[in-house]
Amino acid sequence: MERCFKIFRFDPENGSVPLYREYRIDVQPDWRILDCIHEIKWKLDGTLSFRRSCAHGVCGSDAMMINGKNRLACRTLVRDLKKRGVIRIDPLKGFPVIKDLIVDSDAFFERNEAVKPWFVNNDRPPEKERLQSPEERDRIDEPTKCILCGSCTSACPTYWYDKAYLGPAALLKAHRFIFDSRDQAGEERLEILNDLTGPYKCHTIFNCVETCPKEINVTGAIAELKMEILRSRLRKKSKSGR
Amino acid sequence: MISAGRFFEERLQQMSAQRYQWHVGSFAWVLHRITGLLLSLYLVIHIWVVRTIGQGPEGFDRVMATVQTPLFLFFEVGLLGTVLYHALNGVRLLLIDTGWGVRHQKGLFFVLAGLAVVVLLIGVVPILNLLGRQFPG
Repeated sequence: MERCFKIFRFDPENGSVPLYREYRIDVQPDWRILDCIHEIKWKLDGTLSFRRSCAHGVCGSDAMMINGKNRLACRTLVRDLKKRGVIRIDPLKGFPVIKDLIVDSDAFFERNEAVKPWFVNNDRPPEKERLQSPEERDRIDEPTKCILCGSCTSACPTYWYDKAYLGPAALLKAHRFIFDSRDQAGEERLEILNDLTGPYKCHTIFNCVETCPKEINVTGAIAELKMEILRSRLRKKSKSGR
Repeated sequence: MISAGRFFEERLQQMSAQRYQWHVGSFAWVLHRITGLLLSLYLVIHIWVVRTIGQGPEGFDRVMATVQTPLFLFFEVGLLGTVLYHALNGVRLLLIDTGWGVRHQKGLFFVLAGLAVVVLLIGVVPILNLLGRQFPG
């Protein structure tokens, strides 16, 4: 069946203005959107640019706005979208566009680095491994599934208008390490988060939860961070005896 | 600090990008913002009305006569709805921040919005009675 794709095109190097270009191609209902834009690029218009690496929902390179919602092109089938009308594809909102569907994600990864997204434990490692109980592992089960595709941060209205906000992805990453039973830099990270750029900036709009291709409860993780900052403050207060 | 050209470019790109899909959470948030702004406006009007107490009983009576016209009673119904939504959604937001409400945010929205409608309907009765007393028959 023939479907029409309306794709955002922008090439700043040629001094062009952003515009939408329409492509009509024959597709099957079980084609992924990635297959469709491959078909367009390979057979109709070689100048169309987009990112993709693994093409199987693991690397998170091909997150884009498909019919007004951020999705992974490799995990969205034609039949998952509405049956009629054009399929609109835009680059991730809120990120500067480099060309067509490729966005500049430097700022996104800088925010991620700001929360120290690495394991910190200064104790000498035991002979085999740092053990964790199944319950302790469950605590961070959801955040470990994050593939850093950027769908959540790009869907967040708070991030659209305040680029200083760390954004859902970075906060989720902070959650993953703060609640890791083996990690020792939790308090340090909570200090970084206890700021106007941290979880208190979240307006609980739930766009991140709606869009997450890994179905992570991001807003829930942010809510837990808010409570943890409070608890950390109380712990410090009771320790200093005031 | 980004340059004016870069700023314009980014805005242009944002404008040309398609509007993001709506769902319960974003709808509840926008409605919360709008009702919040309306309540701020109401606060100004309220202070203006109360201020007339300083002008003695006559001035106050004059203003009270104005705010009891059908138009203002109609606004009053709107005010009740605005307060109800803003207050009850505020409860929803508190429950979300405690962590419990996160998984039930959609259900919570519909339950509390339903409750707001029920209380609004109950509240409309005395307002309509007042209107009936002013314009009998």
